[in-house]
Amino acid sequence: MADDEQDPKEYRWETGYEKTWEAIKEDEDGLVEGLVAQFAQKAARKTIAQKRGPVRLGMMRHLLVAVDCSEAMNSQDLKPSRFICTLKLLEKFVEEFFDQNPLSQLSIIAMKNKRAEKITELSGNVRKHIKSVQGLTNMALTGEPSLQNTLELAGRVLRPLPGHASRELLVLFASLTSCDPGDINTSIQALKTDGIRCSVIGLAAEVRICKKLCQDTGGEYNVVLDDVHYRSLLLEHTSPPPRARSLDAGLVKMGFPHSAPPTTQSDASANADPPITVCMCHLEEGEGVGGEGHFCPQCRSKYCSLPAQCRTCGLTLASAPHLARSYHHLFPVEPYEEIPNDGQAQYCFGCLRSFTDLDKQIYQCKRCHSHYCWECEGVVGTTLHVCPGCASRPHLYQRLPDAS
Amino acid sequence: MSESSSKSKSLNLNPAPTLQCKDLHEYLKSRSPQFLETLYNYPTICLAVYRELPELARHFVIRLLFVEQPVPQAVVTSWVSQTYAREQSKACEALSELSVWQEAPIPGGMPGWMLSQSFKKNLKVALLGGGRAWSMSMSLEPDGRARDVSFLDAYALERWECVLHYMVGSAQTEGISADAVRILLHAGLMTRDAEDGSAVITRAGFQFLLLSTAKQVWLFLQHYLQTAERRSLSAAECLAFLYQLSFSTLGKDYSTEGMSNNMLVFLQHLREFGLVYQRKRKAGRFYPTRLALNIANVRGDGGPEFSLQGAGAPSGYIIVETNYRVYAYTQTTLQVALLGLFTELVYRFPNLVVGVVTRESVRQALRGGITADQILHYLHQHAHPQMLKSETGGIRSTSLLPPTVVDQIRLWEDERNRFTYTEGVVYNQFLSQADFVVLRDYAKQQGVLTWQSERARTMVVTRASHDDVKKFWKRYSKTS
Amino acid sequence: MADDEQPSDSSLLVIIVDTNPNQRYITEDPKVLTGCLDAVIAFANSHLMQKSRNQLAVIGCHFHKSEYLYPSPGKPLDVRQIDGQYELFTLVEKTIKMRLVNLVKSQPLDEKPGESLLAGALAMALCFIARMRREATPGLKTSSRILIVTGSSDTAAQYINYMNVFFTAQKQQVLIDVCSLDKHLSLLQQGCDITGGLYLKVPSLEGLLQYLLWVFLPEASERTKLVLPGRGRVDYRAACFCHRELLTIGYVCSVCLSVFCKFSPICTTCHTVFKIGGPLPIKPKKKRMKV
Repeated sequence: MADDEQDPKEYRWETGYEKTWEAIKEDEDGLVEGLVAQFAQKAARKTIAQKRGPVRLGMMRHLLVAVDCSEAMNSQDLKPSRFICTLKLLEKFVEEFFDQNPLSQLSIIAMKNKRAEKITELSGNVRKHIKSVQGLTNMALTGEPSLQNTLELAGRVLRPLPGHASRELLVLFASLTSCDPGDINTSIQALKTDGIRCSVIGLAAEVRICKKLCQDTGGEYNVVLDDVHYRSLLLEHTSPPPRARSLDAGLVKMGFPHSAPPTTQSDASANADPPITVCMCHLEEGEGVGGEGHFCPQCRSKYCSLPAQCRTCGLTLASAPHLARSYHHLFPVEPYEEIPNDGQAQYCFGCLRSFTDLDKQIYQCKRCHSHYCWECEGVVGTTLHVCPGCASRPHLYQRLPDAS
Repeated sequence: MSESSSKSKSLNLNPAPTLQCKDLHEYLKSRSPQFLETLYNYPTICLAVYRELPELARHFVIRLLFVEQPVPQAVVTSWVSQTYAREQSKACEALSELSVWQEAPIPGGMPGWMLSQSFKKNLKVALLGGGRAWSMSMSLEPDGRARDVSFLDAYALERWECVLHYMVGSAQTEGISADAVRILLHAGLMTRDAEDGSAVITRAGFQFLLLSTAKQVWLFLQHYLQTAERRSLSAAECLAFLYQLSFSTLGKDYSTEGMSNNMLVFLQHLREFGLVYQRKRKAGRFYPTRLALNIANVRGDGGPEFSLQGAGAPSGYIIVETNYRVYAYTQTTLQVALLGLFTELVYRFPNLVVGVVTRESVRQALRGGITADQILHYLHQHAHPQMLKSETGGIRSTSLLPPTVVDQIRLWEDERNRFTYTEGVVYNQFLSQADFVVLRDYAKQQGVLTWQSERARTMVVTRASHDDVKKFWKRYSKTS
Repeated sequence: MADDEQPSDSSLLVIIVDTNPNQRYITEDPKVLTGCLDAVIAFANSHLMQKSRNQLAVIGCHFHKSEYLYPSPGKPLDVRQIDGQYELFTLVEKTIKMRLVNLVKSQPLDEKPGESLLAGALAMALCFIARMRREATPGLKTSSRILIVTGSSDTAAQYINYMNVFFTAQKQQVLIDVCSLDKHLSLLQQGCDITGGLYLKVPSLEGLLQYLLWVFLPEASERTKLVLPGRGRVDYRAACFCHRELLTIGYVCSVCLSVFCKFSPICTTCHTVFKIGGPLPIKPKKKRMKV
């Protein structure tokens, strides 16, 4: 764990004076256009480059998001206010989180009045989370937050989870103070021994105890600059973190419901009228009677949406695409090679764009040797995860997992 | 008691003549079915009409295109889901209005629809091929002095601005032909000055200047076609040629061979307005420009102008800030002059003009007959690409222009429209308070009371209800 | 899913035509391909006819590679109007036919045709759509969709590629439509379901153009208004990594999410050693809450 003193560029004023303008040089014709385009490409690529992480990831995540609901959230340095901005971004975060980690679970905690309250239970229901996030808008922001109480609550929720699940806490912290009942260091130690990874995004300024918390538990600590930065920091937490050492691996029994009840099964009632079924997710609201649904293959309870955990027998229910969503983490595309543009190709293989003088660098796939423009390289690396060239060549399209 | 219809009508004291800009659909709607029938002999027109149809109507046509016998109306209805029945009937109406299809009985007595024969035939030609080529360009030798797209754009812009400059009366340009002036006068965009007979711009003319270029061209050509018939040009032929131009490829040359004398005259006119480029009058070939290509794109309903884009042509150039400042990256005096219509210009640089939208400047524009909508539309349509991109913290704003500015300009307009005028009849000089109350309450009950004053025993009811209220009064005064 | 009800200003259609010579309808009668191609070209032109700003790309998917048939890279063909057809439509037709001949000619003679690699063609289509989005005029509303016309069958070998492509399409709000000329395609049907597109298996090749125009011509915002074939049921069961069999209950590795039909002590995909003692016990949720 890096100490403060070991990082030489801790503060902006300690770094050398950056002569940014010296990087700009005119080309033979006295133009800077090409160079500017190159800068833009570099800036766009910087974010992509960092993402190529380790392959073993904690895929089944259990994440608690603690939202500061104290007076400090009233401040208007983020527009329209810290709190509203946070909620708006949180909505996006929840969607993106379940898009990236379909089998994971999330819970939202509110920190207010020296207490930590659970807003939503740990679950994988996207709509429920978003609805409760939207419901928070009118909450009165009062008192001081308590970091320790939040940590204690997180410990209580996450500790009983099975060993193969990753346990994470993300705190969105606006206050510069914390009102704690006891010694917070013991709480931090307890979380550390349980392997709970804590990350904090500060909305105001750096706070030492937050930094210590993140360092000790292996999380990340960042302070936002503005709303755009906030958004990118928050969304960084949607990609699964490297798997912690302490996690056990295990095989999880899982059910893949067929949308229709399988006809091969000769139930006594199968031939009669369709039985009246009640959707288990809407049991409390008294809705969801009849209609289509997914049936748990073990106990035949009905669910209207997947993924879900069967309330009757506890089986995790998912469909094949949910698993497939994470496969790109396991079988990533090999990064393309950056080569200088010497007219090897006239146009990009992916998007058919003709290369111009502004494309100083082009990209080549090491396997299929097709050439790509920098934009397609970005698309393939970040979202597509399929090399168009390889996938349309008969010898290359199958990407078998590497043995290493 | 006496009654007098004192308040008289005139719904609006300063009726701003808003400029009517019909699109192709409305233009054709106002023509006779015979005229349409002749038009549908041109594949180009069929193609243009097809694109102008409502989206559902387009699908009806494409589904009927390969059917030879009439199709029951009930079947056509069943294609659209119940919730969109309104749109469906609108689509059917549009198809009937333009005589794209006619009612045809089906054996068995059910009413059916059948596409107009010539429309069907020529749309098929345009889509799948066959028939005669539109022009004799196959045999054209390659042009030794071919013109590229950016040249054509610059040429078109220069020619068209020449017309606009003439309208605002700037002295820096050469004049335009007598024909063009006649069209401007006919369209009511300019008028002869009473004293010296010179042409001066009208209110409608100012509104014309604020339209998008594509709309200006289309409006201008509409009036051209109206005057064309007087000059023994066939409107149908001209329209077909115009749409032929709009479906040609930018940067390609086309042959004038085989064109009638009338059409050659028409071509020369289009050349003057910058719709086509010809090196020489007798060059034997011409290049359509972007102005011509955009005729088919007039439908744009107030979105930013995408039409005149490409190298050399200006895209959006105006940035509006929340502090009412307007920055216009432009060099042309015309655009500066237009901006000056409703802003107070503050600074002027070689490529940038800075102005402020003030109450005074906007009111001056309003007094000139320009509406708030037109100002906002102009700002919106010429918005700088940066304004289109602007995004704040992941929360995208709905409007392009700062809402403060939009609201304020509208408020300034409303300031001038504090009066609403309603026709009515005054009832006064009631003999007793009781009479007044009875009649007032009756009028209130009927929902026709416009105004009343208990102290003055005066009330005003709407004109339409006058007879009814009078009858009631007669009955009432008899019984009491 | 594309759920914006707003009509778009322009719509981009990418058509992927499977030209693999080992499709059954081609091996039975090679002439049918020309008929199908004509139908696809007429359909493509009908799409361009809808709105003046509509855009088109056509990708030919052969067994040895996929290639853009339209637009052609570099300068477009120099086409002159030969008959009453709109010049642009003539250009589309000529370009597609010429480039298809080149594609077929370039096939290696010593190789036996394998399966059609539609996932690769889909990836190209998504790159193209991403580019058109980047280059679009800001403020212009565009909707994009992909239509696959194929007579091949789909195999699990391309599963991961397919899935990655489907999720990307879903994220970018691109509809994937599938028009199957021969067999039922369960994988591609999943793609349609995930992205909100339509799946249709045409009963006969006779009226292919009519099927295309009726079902696939309306764009996303128009589809809700028209009565079109329904989605139908989609089989979403997972196949195990060991035997490629469809499962209703299986075991999933907690590290890499590989699916197995039986318990094994080591994951064959990521080589993680599992804790001995059988699969993790499943605790019903309610009990866990009380702990």
